[in-house]
Amino acid sequence: MLDAAEKTPAVINPKIFARGLNVFYGKKQAVFDVDLDVIDRSVTSLIGPSGCGKSTFLRCLNRMNDTITSCSVNGSIIFDGQEIAEYDPVYLRSRIGMVFQKPNPFPKSIYDNVAYGPRIHGMVRNKGELDDLVEDALRKGAMWDEVKDRLDSVGTGLSGGQQQRLCIARAIATKPEVLLMDEPCSALDPIATAQIEELIHELRKNFCVIIVTHSMQQAARVSENTAFFHLGNLVEFGATQKIFTNPDDPRTESYITGRIG
Amino acid sequence: MEKHIVSQFDSDLEAIQAHILKMGGLVEMAISEAMRAFVQKDTELAQSVRAQDSAIDALEELINEDAARVIALRAPTAVDLRIILSVIKVSANLERIGDYAKNLAKRTGVLIQMNEIEDASNALRRLAREVELMLKDALDAYVQRDVALAEDIISRDNDVDQMYNGLFRQFITFMMEDPRNITGCMHLHFMAKNIERMGDHVTSIAEQVIFIVTGELPSEPRDKADETSSFKA
Ligand SMILES: Nc1ncnc2c1ncn2[C@@H]1O[C@H](COP(=O)(O)OP(=O)(O)OP(=O)(O)O)[C@@H](O)[C@H]1O
Ligand SMILES: [Mg+2]
Repeated sequence: MLDAAEKTPAVINPKIFARGLNVFYGKKQAVFDVDLDVIDRSVTSLIGPSGCGKSTFLRCLNRMNDTITSCSVNGSIIFDGQEIAEYDPVYLRSRIGMVFQKPNPFPKSIYDNVAYGPRIHGMVRNKGELDDLVEDALRKGAMWDEVKDRLDSVGTGLSGGQQQRLCIARAIATKPEVLLMDEPCSALDPIATAQIEELIHELRKNFCVIIVTHSMQQAARVSENTAFFHLGNLVEFGATQKIFTNPDDPRTESYITGRIG
Repeated sequence: MEKHIVSQFDSDLEAIQAHILKMGGLVEMAISEAMRAFVQKDTELAQSVRAQDSAIDALEELINEDAARVIALRAPTAVDLRIILSVIKVSANLERIGDYAKNLAKRTGVLIQMNEIEDASNALRRLAREVELMLKDALDAYVQRDVALAEDIISRDNDVDQMYNGLFRQFITFMMEDPRNITGCMHLHFMAKNIERMGDHVTSIAEQVIFIVTGELPSEPRDKADETSSFKA
Protein backbone atom coordinates (compact mmCIF):
# COMPACT_ATOMS: atom_id res chain seq x y z
CA MET A 1 0.00 0.00 0.00
CA LEU A 2 1.02 3.60 -0.34
CA ASP A 3 2.06 5.65 2.67
CA ALA A 4 -0.77 6.58 4.99
CA ALA A 5 -0.01 10.27 4.55
CA GLU A 6 -0.54 10.00 0.80
CA LYS A 7 -3.90 8.38 1.24
CA THR A 8 -6.15 10.98 2.80
CA PRO A 9 -9.09 11.56 0.51
CA ALA A 10 -9.06 15.19 -0.48
CA VAL A 11 -12.33 16.59 -1.65
CA ILE A 12 -10.77 19.98 -2.18
CA ASN A 13 -10.47 20.88 -5.86
CA PRO A 14 -11.64 17.68 -7.50
CA LYS A 15 -10.40 17.28 -11.08
CA ILE A 16 -13.66 15.73 -12.06
CA PHE A 17 -16.80 15.13 -10.06
CA ALA A 18 -20.29 13.71 -10.39
CA ARG A 19 -23.45 14.97 -8.73
CA GLY A 20 -26.75 13.12 -8.69
CA LEU A 21 -25.71 10.92 -11.59
CA ASN A 22 -28.33 8.47 -12.87
CA VAL A 23 -27.78 6.18 -15.82
CA PHE A 24 -30.41 4.10 -17.62
CA TYR A 25 -30.25 1.47 -20.32
CA GLY A 26 -33.72 1.83 -21.78
CA LYS A 27 -36.01 1.72 -18.73
CA LYS A 28 -33.53 -0.19 -16.59
CA GLN A 29 -31.55 1.98 -14.21
CA ALA A 30 -27.89 0.97 -13.85
CA VAL A 31 -26.46 3.84 -11.74
CA PHE A 32 -28.38 5.57 -8.95
CA ASP A 33 -27.81 9.13 -7.80
CA VAL A 34 -24.04 8.97 -7.55
CA ASP A 35 -21.97 11.80 -6.07
CA LEU A 36 -18.24 11.27 -6.42
CA ASP A 37 -15.23 13.57 -6.28
CA VAL A 38 -12.01 12.52 -7.98
CA ILE A 39 -8.88 14.40 -7.09
CA ASP A 40 -6.10 15.22 -9.48
CA ARG A 41 -2.71 13.50 -9.55
CA SER A 42 -3.90 10.47 -7.69
CA VAL A 43 -5.35 7.06 -8.41
CA THR A 44 -8.96 6.32 -7.58
CA SER A 45 -10.21 2.78 -7.89
CA LEU A 46 -13.76 1.65 -8.48
CA ILE A 47 -14.60 -1.76 -7.07
CA GLY A 48 -17.73 -3.83 -6.64
CA PRO A 49 -19.42 -7.01 -7.79
CA SER A 50 -20.04 -7.73 -11.44
CA GLY A 51 -22.88 -5.67 -12.87
CA CYS A 52 -22.82 -3.01 -10.13
CA GLY A 53 -22.27 -0.21 -12.64
CA LYS A 54 -18.53 0.47 -12.48
CA SER A 55 -17.96 0.44 -16.21
CA THR A 56 -21.17 2.36 -16.80
CA PHE A 57 -20.05 5.06 -14.39
CA LEU A 58 -16.56 5.15 -15.87
CA ARG A 59 -17.89 5.48 -19.41
CA CYS A 60 -20.00 8.48 -18.36
CA LEU A 61 -16.89 10.42 -17.46
CA ASN A 62 -15.75 10.78 -21.07
CA ARG A 63 -19.21 10.40 -22.60
CA MET A 64 -18.52 7.01 -24.09
CA ASN A 65 -22.11 6.13 -23.16
CA ASP A 66 -23.26 8.62 -25.81
CA THR A 67 -22.38 5.95 -28.32
CA ILE A 68 -24.86 3.47 -26.80
CA THR A 69 -28.29 4.42 -28.12
CA SER A 70 -30.35 2.86 -25.33
CA CYS A 71 -28.27 4.66 -22.72
CA SER A 72 -29.48 7.87 -21.11
CA VAL A 73 -27.69 9.87 -18.45
CA ASN A 74 -28.94 12.58 -16.12
CA GLY A 75 -27.28 14.49 -13.34
CA SER A 76 -24.09 16.38 -13.70
CA ILE A 77 -20.40 15.69 -14.27
CA ILE A 78 -18.05 18.61 -13.94
CA PHE A 79 -14.61 18.37 -15.47
CA ASP A 80 -12.24 21.27 -14.86
CA GLY A 81 -15.14 23.41 -13.70
CA GLN A 82 -17.36 22.78 -16.71
CA GLU A 83 -20.24 20.40 -17.47
CA ILE A 84 -18.93 17.61 -19.69
CA ALA A 85 -22.11 17.88 -21.78
CA GLU A 86 -20.86 21.28 -22.90
CA TYR A 87 -17.60 19.90 -24.31
CA ASP A 88 -17.17 18.65 -27.84
CA PRO A 89 -17.09 14.87 -27.22
CA VAL A 90 -14.04 14.23 -29.40
CA TYR A 91 -12.12 16.99 -27.66
CA LEU A 92 -13.35 15.72 -24.27
CA ARG A 93 -12.01 12.25 -25.03
CA SER A 94 -8.62 13.67 -25.92
CA ARG A 95 -8.47 15.18 -22.44
CA ILE A 96 -10.01 12.19 -20.73
CA GLY A 97 -8.31 9.14 -22.21
CA MET A 98 -9.46 5.58 -21.83
CA VAL A 99 -7.75 2.19 -21.66
CA PHE A 100 -9.86 -0.93 -22.04
CA GLN A 101 -9.86 -4.37 -20.54
CA LYS A 102 -8.53 -6.06 -23.65
CA PRO A 103 -5.52 -4.41 -25.27
CA ASN A 104 -6.80 -3.08 -28.58
CA PRO A 105 -3.94 -1.61 -30.61
CA PHE A 106 -4.71 -0.61 -34.19
CA PRO A 107 -3.34 -3.01 -36.82
CA LYS A 108 -0.70 -0.44 -37.63
CA SER A 109 2.87 0.23 -36.64
CA ILE A 110 3.77 0.96 -33.03
CA TYR A 111 4.66 4.48 -34.11
CA ASP A 112 1.34 5.05 -35.86
CA ASN A 113 -0.62 3.71 -32.93
CA VAL A 114 0.83 6.40 -30.71
CA ALA A 115 0.87 9.10 -33.38
CA TYR A 116 -2.79 8.58 -34.28
CA GLY A 117 -4.32 10.85 -31.63
CA PRO A 118 -1.90 13.75 -31.95
CA ARG A 119 -2.38 13.67 -35.74
CA ILE A 120 -6.17 13.78 -35.73
CA HIS A 121 -6.19 16.48 -33.06
CA GLY A 122 -3.66 18.49 -35.04
CA MET A 123 -1.35 18.69 -32.08
CA VAL A 124 1.91 18.81 -34.04
CA ARG A 125 3.26 20.91 -36.90
CA ASN A 126 6.00 18.65 -38.25
CA LYS A 127 7.56 15.19 -38.15
CA GLY A 128 10.16 16.25 -35.59
CA GLU A 129 7.51 17.33 -33.08
CA LEU A 130 5.55 14.15 -33.70
CA ASP A 131 8.67 12.02 -33.11
CA ASP A 132 9.24 13.77 -29.81
CA LEU A 133 5.66 13.31 -28.77
CA VAL A 134 5.66 9.60 -29.65
CA GLU A 135 8.89 9.06 -27.74
CA ASP A 136 7.57 10.95 -24.73
CA ALA A 137 4.33 8.94 -24.69
CA LEU A 138 6.17 5.63 -25.05
CA ARG A 139 8.50 6.62 -22.22
CA LYS A 140 5.55 7.52 -20.00
CA GLY A 141 4.03 4.20 -21.01
CA ALA A 142 7.20 2.52 -19.71
CA MET A 143 8.01 0.79 -23.02
CA TRP A 144 10.34 3.09 -24.95
CA ASP A 145 13.41 0.95 -24.32
CA GLU A 146 11.59 -2.18 -25.40
CA VAL A 147 10.33 -0.82 -28.74
CA LYS A 148 12.57 2.06 -29.76
CA ASP A 149 14.37 -0.12 -32.33
CA ARG A 150 11.22 -1.48 -33.91
CA LEU A 151 8.79 1.42 -34.09
CA ASP A 152 7.78 0.27 -37.57
CA SER A 153 6.61 -3.19 -36.58
CA VAL A 154 2.92 -3.75 -36.01
CA GLY A 155 1.47 -3.09 -32.56
CA THR A 156 -0.63 -6.22 -32.72
CA GLY A 157 2.59 -8.29 -32.85
CA LEU A 158 3.54 -7.31 -29.30
CA SER A 159 2.87 -9.44 -26.21
CA GLY A 160 -0.37 -8.79 -24.34
CA GLY A 161 1.34 -6.79 -21.60
CA GLN A 162 3.27 -4.74 -24.17
CA GLN A 163 0.08 -4.15 -26.15
CA GLN A 164 -1.63 -2.84 -23.03
CA ARG A 165 1.25 -0.48 -22.32
CA LEU A 166 1.12 0.60 -25.95
CA CYS A 167 -2.57 1.40 -25.46
CA ILE A 168 -1.70 3.41 -22.38
CA ALA A 169 1.00 5.24 -24.36
CA ARG A 170 -1.58 5.86 -27.10
CA ALA A 171 -3.98 7.29 -24.54
CA ILE A 172 -1.25 9.47 -23.07
CA ALA A 173 -0.15 10.81 -26.47
CA THR A 174 -2.98 13.33 -26.70
CA LYS A 175 -1.78 14.74 -23.37
CA PRO A 176 -4.95 14.01 -21.45
CA GLU A 177 -5.43 15.05 -17.86
CA VAL A 178 -7.56 12.12 -16.82
CA LEU A 179 -6.95 8.45 -17.63
CA LEU A 180 -9.81 5.99 -17.31
CA MET A 181 -8.88 2.32 -17.14
CA ASP A 182 -11.44 -0.45 -17.18
CA GLU A 183 -9.84 -3.61 -15.79
CA PRO A 184 -6.60 -2.92 -17.64
CA CYS A 185 -4.84 -6.01 -16.26
CA SER A 186 -7.53 -8.64 -16.46
CA ALA A 187 -6.06 -10.16 -19.62
CA LEU A 188 -2.47 -10.05 -18.39
CA ASP A 189 -0.15 -12.41 -16.51
CA PRO A 190 1.25 -11.44 -13.08
CA ILE A 191 4.49 -10.00 -14.47
CA ALA A 192 2.73 -7.84 -17.06
CA THR A 193 0.23 -6.88 -14.36
CA ALA A 194 3.03 -5.81 -12.04
CA GLN A 195 4.52 -3.72 -14.86
CA ILE A 196 1.18 -1.99 -15.47
CA GLU A 197 0.78 -1.38 -11.75
CA GLU A 198 4.25 0.10 -11.61
CA LEU A 199 3.29 2.28 -14.56
CA ILE A 200 0.08 3.41 -12.87
CA HIS A 201 2.14 4.34 -9.84
CA GLU A 202 4.24 6.58 -12.10
CA LEU A 203 1.24 7.99 -13.96
CA ARG A 204 -0.31 9.36 -10.81
CA LYS A 205 2.42 12.00 -10.69
CA ASN A 206 1.06 13.60 -13.86
CA PHE A 207 -2.47 12.34 -14.29
CA CYS A 208 -5.75 11.84 -12.56
CA VAL A 209 -6.19 8.08 -12.90
CA ILE A 210 -9.47 6.22 -12.37
CA ILE A 211 -9.28 2.46 -12.55
CA VAL A 212 -11.93 -0.23 -12.42
CA THR A 213 -10.54 -3.45 -11.04
CA HIS A 214 -11.80 -6.80 -9.83
CA SER A 215 -8.62 -7.39 -7.91
CA MET A 216 -8.96 -6.14 -4.33
CA GLN A 217 -5.24 -6.39 -3.92
CA GLN A 218 -4.68 -4.31 -7.02
CA ALA A 219 -7.02 -1.59 -5.76
CA ALA A 220 -5.25 -1.69 -2.39
CA ARG A 221 -1.83 -1.49 -4.01
CA VAL A 222 -2.31 1.20 -6.62
CA SER A 223 -4.94 3.63 -5.38
CA GLU A 224 -5.15 6.40 -2.83
CA ASN A 225 -8.93 6.37 -2.80
CA THR A 226 -11.46 3.67 -3.40
CA ALA A 227 -15.13 3.78 -4.32
CA PHE A 228 -17.27 0.74 -3.65
CA PHE A 229 -20.33 0.28 -5.88
CA HIS A 230 -23.16 -2.11 -5.17
CA LEU A 231 -26.32 -2.55 -7.27
CA GLY A 232 -25.70 0.76 -9.00
CA ASN A 233 -25.22 2.71 -5.79
CA LEU A 234 -22.03 4.26 -4.54
CA VAL A 235 -21.98 2.64 -1.10
CA GLU A 236 -18.72 3.94 0.28
CA PHE A 237 -15.93 6.20 -0.87
CA GLY A 238 -12.79 6.99 1.06
CA ALA A 239 -9.10 6.47 1.59
CA THR A 240 -8.10 3.07 0.25
CA GLN A 241 -6.35 2.24 3.48
CA LYS A 242 -9.54 2.87 5.46
CA ILE A 243 -11.72 0.91 3.01
CA PHE A 244 -9.45 -2.11 3.22
CA THR A 245 -8.75 -2.07 6.94
CA ASN A 246 -11.91 -0.73 8.51
CA PRO A 247 -14.74 0.14 6.13
CA ASP A 248 -17.80 1.89 7.52
CA ASP A 249 -20.50 0.06 5.58
CA PRO A 250 -21.23 -3.63 6.23
CA ARG A 251 -21.77 -4.19 2.49
CA THR A 252 -18.24 -2.96 1.78
CA GLU A 253 -16.92 -5.19 4.53
CA SER A 254 -18.74 -8.24 3.13
CA TYR A 255 -17.46 -7.59 -0.36
CA ILE A 256 -13.80 -6.96 0.39
CA THR A 257 -13.54 -9.81 2.87
CA GLY A 258 -15.10 -12.21 0.38
CA ARG A 259 -18.30 -12.89 2.30
CA ILE A 260 -21.67 -13.44 0.76
CA GLY A 261 -23.20 -9.98 0.93
CA MET B 1 -20.64 -12.97 11.24
CA GLU B 2 -21.41 -13.90 7.65
CA LYS B 3 -19.54 -16.81 6.12
CA HIS B 4 -16.83 -16.43 3.53
CA ILE B 5 -17.56 -17.59 0.01
CA VAL B 6 -14.39 -19.67 0.30
CA SER B 7 -15.39 -21.85 3.25
CA GLN B 8 -11.80 -22.96 3.85
CA PHE B 9 -11.06 -19.37 4.89
CA ASP B 10 -13.64 -19.69 7.68
CA SER B 11 -12.15 -22.99 8.80
CA ASP B 12 -8.67 -21.45 8.90
CA LEU B 13 -9.81 -18.53 11.04
CA GLU B 14 -11.77 -20.82 13.34
CA ALA B 15 -8.80 -23.16 13.74
CA ILE B 16 -6.46 -20.33 14.68
CA GLN B 17 -8.89 -18.95 17.22
CA ALA B 18 -9.39 -22.42 18.67
CA HIS B 19 -5.62 -22.52 19.26
CA ILE B 20 -5.85 -19.19 21.08
CA LEU B 21 -8.52 -20.58 23.38
CA LYS B 22 -6.54 -23.73 24.02
CA MET B 23 -3.49 -21.63 24.81
CA GLY B 24 -5.61 -19.42 27.09
CA GLY B 25 -6.84 -22.51 28.91
CA LEU B 26 -3.29 -23.73 29.50
CA VAL B 27 -2.22 -20.32 30.76
CA GLU B 28 -5.19 -20.07 33.15
CA MET B 29 -4.29 -23.49 34.48
CA ALA B 30 -0.63 -22.49 34.86
CA ILE B 31 -1.56 -19.49 37.03
CA SER B 32 -3.97 -21.42 39.21
CA GLU B 33 -1.63 -24.38 39.67
CA ALA B 34 1.35 -22.13 40.37
CA MET B 35 -0.67 -20.45 43.12
CA ARG B 36 -1.96 -23.79 44.46
CA ALA B 37 1.62 -25.04 44.61
CA PHE B 38 2.53 -21.85 46.47
CA VAL B 39 -0.30 -22.17 49.02
CA GLN B 40 0.05 -25.90 49.54
CA LYS B 41 3.85 -25.82 49.42
CA ASP B 42 3.73 -28.47 46.74
CA THR B 43 7.18 -28.71 45.13
CA GLU B 44 6.09 -31.34 42.67
CA LEU B 45 3.19 -29.27 41.37
CA ALA B 46 5.47 -26.23 41.06
CA GLN B 47 7.86 -28.34 39.05
CA SER B 48 5.10 -29.55 36.74
CA VAL B 49 3.92 -25.95 36.09
CA ARG B 50 7.45 -25.13 34.98
CA ALA B 51 7.56 -28.17 32.71
CA GLN B 52 4.23 -27.34 31.08
CA ASP B 53 5.36 -23.95 29.87
CA SER B 54 6.90 -25.45 26.75
CA ALA B 55 3.43 -26.55 25.58
CA ILE B 56 2.31 -22.90 25.78
CA ASP B 57 5.35 -21.75 23.81
CA ALA B 58 4.71 -24.39 21.15
CA LEU B 59 1.13 -23.16 20.71
CA GLU B 60 2.33 -19.60 20.21
CA GLU B 61 4.65 -20.80 17.48
CA LEU B 62 1.86 -22.76 15.83
CA ILE B 63 -0.46 -19.75 15.92
CA ASN B 64 2.18 -17.53 14.33
CA GLU B 65 2.76 -20.07 11.56
CA ASP B 66 -0.95 -20.37 10.89
CA ALA B 67 -1.35 -16.60 10.86
CA ALA B 68 1.51 -16.24 8.37
CA ARG B 69 -0.09 -18.88 6.16
CA VAL B 70 -3.47 -17.14 6.16
CA ILE B 71 -1.81 -13.82 5.28
CA ALA B 72 0.13 -15.42 2.42
CA LEU B 73 -2.76 -17.46 0.99
CA ARG B 74 -5.81 -15.33 1.64
CA ALA B 75 -4.59 -11.73 1.85
CA PRO B 76 -7.10 -10.93 4.62
CA THR B 77 -8.71 -7.49 4.73
CA ALA B 78 -10.79 -5.50 7.20
CA VAL B 79 -12.17 -7.61 10.07
CA ASP B 80 -10.30 -10.70 8.83
CA LEU B 81 -7.05 -8.76 8.87
CA ARG B 82 -7.78 -7.52 12.38
CA ILE B 83 -8.50 -11.06 13.57
CA ILE B 84 -5.17 -12.24 12.18
CA LEU B 85 -3.26 -9.31 13.65
CA SER B 86 -5.00 -9.91 16.97
CA VAL B 87 -4.14 -13.61 17.19
CA ILE B 88 -0.47 -12.75 16.73
CA LYS B 89 -0.67 -10.18 19.49
CA VAL B 90 -2.87 -12.16 21.87
CA SER B 91 -0.74 -15.29 21.57
CA ALA B 92 2.32 -13.20 22.45
CA ASN B 93 0.47 -11.83 25.51
CA LEU B 94 -0.53 -15.32 26.58
CA GLU B 95 3.02 -16.56 26.13
CA ARG B 96 4.30 -13.78 28.43
CA ILE B 97 1.65 -14.55 31.04
CA GLY B 98 2.70 -18.18 30.85
CA ASP B 99 6.31 -17.14 31.48
CA TYR B 100 5.27 -15.17 34.55
CA ALA B 101 3.36 -18.21 35.84
CA LYS B 102 6.52 -20.24 35.35
CA ASN B 103 8.43 -17.64 37.38
CA LEU B 104 5.84 -17.90 40.15
CA ALA B 105 6.41 -21.64 40.23
CA LYS B 106 10.17 -21.17 40.29
CA ARG B 107 10.05 -18.83 43.31
CA THR B 108 7.56 -21.10 45.03
CA GLY B 109 10.22 -23.77 44.92
CA VAL B 110 12.58 -21.45 46.78
CA LEU B 111 9.99 -20.05 49.21
CA ILE B 112 8.94 -23.50 50.39
CA GLN B 113 12.29 -23.80 52.16
CA MET B 114 11.64 -20.62 54.20
CA ASN B 115 9.50 -19.37 57.08
CA GLU B 116 6.02 -18.46 55.98
CA ILE B 117 4.92 -14.81 56.07
CA GLU B 118 1.23 -15.56 56.51
CA ASP B 119 -0.56 -12.27 55.71
CA ALA B 120 1.62 -11.60 52.70
CA SER B 121 0.84 -15.00 51.22
CA ASN B 122 -2.89 -14.42 51.51
CA ALA B 123 -2.68 -11.02 49.89
CA LEU B 124 -0.63 -12.48 47.04
CA ARG B 125 -3.29 -15.17 46.52
CA ARG B 126 -6.00 -12.54 46.28
CA LEU B 127 -3.99 -10.62 43.70
CA ALA B 128 -3.42 -13.76 41.61
CA ARG B 129 -7.10 -14.69 41.91
CA GLU B 130 -8.13 -11.30 40.55
CA VAL B 131 -5.80 -11.58 37.54
CA GLU B 132 -6.96 -15.14 36.88
CA LEU B 133 -10.56 -13.93 36.74
CA MET B 134 -9.58 -11.08 34.45
CA LEU B 135 -7.90 -13.54 32.10
CA LYS B 136 -10.93 -15.81 32.09
CA ASP B 137 -13.15 -12.82 31.24
CA ALA B 138 -10.70 -11.59 28.60
CA LEU B 139 -10.88 -14.94 26.82
CA ASP B 140 -14.68 -14.87 27.06
CA ALA B 141 -14.72 -11.32 25.71
CA TYR B 142 -12.45 -12.47 22.90
CA VAL B 143 -14.77 -15.29 21.90
CA GLN B 144 -17.94 -13.23 22.26
CA ARG B 145 -16.38 -10.08 20.77
CA ASP B 146 -17.78 -8.37 23.87
CA VAL B 147 -16.56 -4.77 23.96
CA ALA B 148 -18.35 -3.91 27.21
CA LEU B 149 -16.69 -6.80 29.03
CA ALA B 150 -13.32 -5.85 27.51
CA GLU B 151 -13.71 -2.30 28.79
CA ASP B 152 -14.61 -3.64 32.22
CA ILE B 153 -11.41 -5.72 32.25
CA ILE B 154 -9.33 -2.71 31.31
CA SER B 155 -10.75 -0.75 34.24
CA ARG B 156 -10.23 -3.68 36.62
CA ASP B 157 -6.53 -3.60 35.86
CA ASN B 158 -6.41 -0.38 37.90
CA ASP B 159 -7.59 -2.38 40.93
CA VAL B 160 -4.79 -4.86 40.32
CA ASP B 161 -2.29 -2.01 40.23
CA GLN B 162 -3.73 -0.68 43.50
CA MET B 163 -3.53 -4.10 45.13
CA TYR B 164 0.05 -4.43 43.99
CA ASN B 165 0.94 -1.02 45.44
CA GLY B 166 -0.65 -2.07 48.72
CA LEU B 167 1.33 -5.31 48.77
CA PHE B 168 4.52 -3.44 48.09
CA ARG B 169 3.96 -1.27 51.17
CA GLN B 170 3.13 -4.32 53.24
CA PHE B 171 6.36 -6.05 52.21
CA ILE B 172 8.40 -2.99 53.14
CA THR B 173 6.75 -2.96 56.54
CA PHE B 174 7.45 -6.65 57.14
CA MET B 175 11.05 -6.22 56.13
CA MET B 176 11.50 -3.24 58.43
CA GLU B 177 9.87 -5.06 61.33
CA ASP B 178 12.10 -8.10 61.09
CA PRO B 179 15.18 -8.31 58.86
CA ARG B 180 14.79 -12.11 58.79
CA ASN B 181 11.79 -11.48 56.51
CA ILE B 182 13.88 -9.72 53.91
CA THR B 183 14.76 -12.66 51.65
CA GLY B 184 11.24 -14.09 51.74
CA CYS B 185 9.65 -10.71 51.14
CA MET B 186 11.95 -10.04 48.21
CA HIS B 187 10.79 -13.26 46.59
CA LEU B 188 7.16 -12.46 47.37
CA HIS B 189 7.60 -9.01 45.94
CA PHE B 190 8.95 -10.39 42.67
CA MET B 191 5.96 -12.70 42.53
CA ALA B 192 3.59 -9.79 43.14
CA LYS B 193 5.30 -7.83 40.39
CA ASN B 194 4.95 -10.81 38.03
CA ILE B 195 1.23 -11.01 38.75
CA GLU B 196 0.83 -7.28 38.25
CA ARG B 197 2.56 -7.62 34.85
CA MET B 198 0.19 -10.46 33.96
CA GLY B 199 -2.63 -7.99 34.50
CA ASP B 200 -1.06 -5.67 31.93
CA HIS B 201 -0.96 -8.45 29.35
CA VAL B 202 -4.56 -9.40 30.10
CA THR B 203 -5.47 -5.76 29.56
CA SER B 204 -3.72 -5.85 26.22
CA ILE B 205 -5.83 -8.88 25.23
CA ALA B 206 -8.96 -6.94 26.18
CA GLU B 207 -7.74 -4.07 23.99
CA GLN B 208 -7.42 -6.48 21.06
CA VAL B 209 -11.10 -7.38 21.48
CA ILE B 210 -11.97 -3.71 21.08
CA PHE B 211 -9.64 -3.51 18.08
CA ILE B 212 -11.28 -6.46 16.31
CA VAL B 213 -14.76 -5.06 16.79
CA THR B 214 -14.20 -1.34 16.24
CA GLY B 215 -11.01 -1.24 14.20
CA GLU B 216 -9.43 1.05 16.76
CA LEU B 217 -7.46 0.55 19.92
CA PRO B 218 -8.88 2.32 22.97
CA SER B 219 -7.44 5.81 22.64
CA GLU B 220 -6.72 7.26 26.07
CA PRO B 221 -3.52 5.83 27.50
CA ARG B 222 -4.11 4.32 30.91
CA ASP B 223 -2.14 6.05 33.60
CA LYS B 224 -0.34 3.31 35.40
CA ALA B 225 -1.15 3.34 39.06
CA ASP B 226 2.31 2.20 40.03
CA GLU B 227 3.39 4.43 42.90
CA THR B 228 6.19 2.19 44.05
CA SER B 229 8.86 4.10 42.18
CA SER B 230 8.17 7.15 44.34
CA PHE B 231 7.83 5.18 47.56
CA LYS B 232 9.92 6.40 50.45
CA ALA B 233 10.45 3.99 53.29
N1 LIG C 1 -25.00 -1.75 -23.29
C1 LIG C 1 -25.83 -2.13 -22.32
N2 LIG C 1 -27.13 -2.33 -22.56
C2 LIG C 1 -27.99 -2.71 -21.58
N3 LIG C 1 -27.63 -2.93 -20.31
C3 LIG C 1 -26.34 -2.75 -19.99
C4 LIG C 1 -25.37 -2.36 -20.98
N4 LIG C 1 -24.18 -2.26 -20.37
C5 LIG C 1 -24.37 -2.59 -19.07
N5 LIG C 1 -25.66 -2.88 -18.83
C6 LIG C 1 -26.25 -3.27 -17.53
O1 LIG C 1 -25.99 -2.25 -16.59
C7 LIG C 1 -25.60 -2.80 -15.34
C8 LIG C 1 -24.20 -2.29 -14.97
O2 LIG C 1 -23.27 -2.85 -15.89
P1 LIG C 1 -21.75 -2.47 -15.90
O3 LIG C 1 -21.14 -3.03 -17.12
O4 LIG C 1 -21.58 -1.01 -15.65
O5 LIG C 1 -21.24 -3.27 -14.62
P2 LIG C 1 -19.77 -3.50 -14.07
O6 LIG C 1 -19.79 -3.10 -12.64
O7 LIG C 1 -18.78 -2.85 -14.95
O8 LIG C 1 -19.64 -5.08 -14.14
P3 LIG C 1 -18.36 -6.00 -14.51
O9 LIG C 1 -17.56 -6.00 -13.26
O10 LIG C 1 -18.96 -7.33 -14.78
O11 LIG C 1 -17.66 -5.38 -15.66
C9 LIG C 1 -25.70 -4.30 -15.50
O12 LIG C 1 -26.92 -4.71 -14.99
C10 LIG C 1 -25.60 -4.51 -16.99
O13 LIG C 1 -26.31 -5.66 -17.36
MG1 LIG D 1 -17.21 -3.59 -16.23
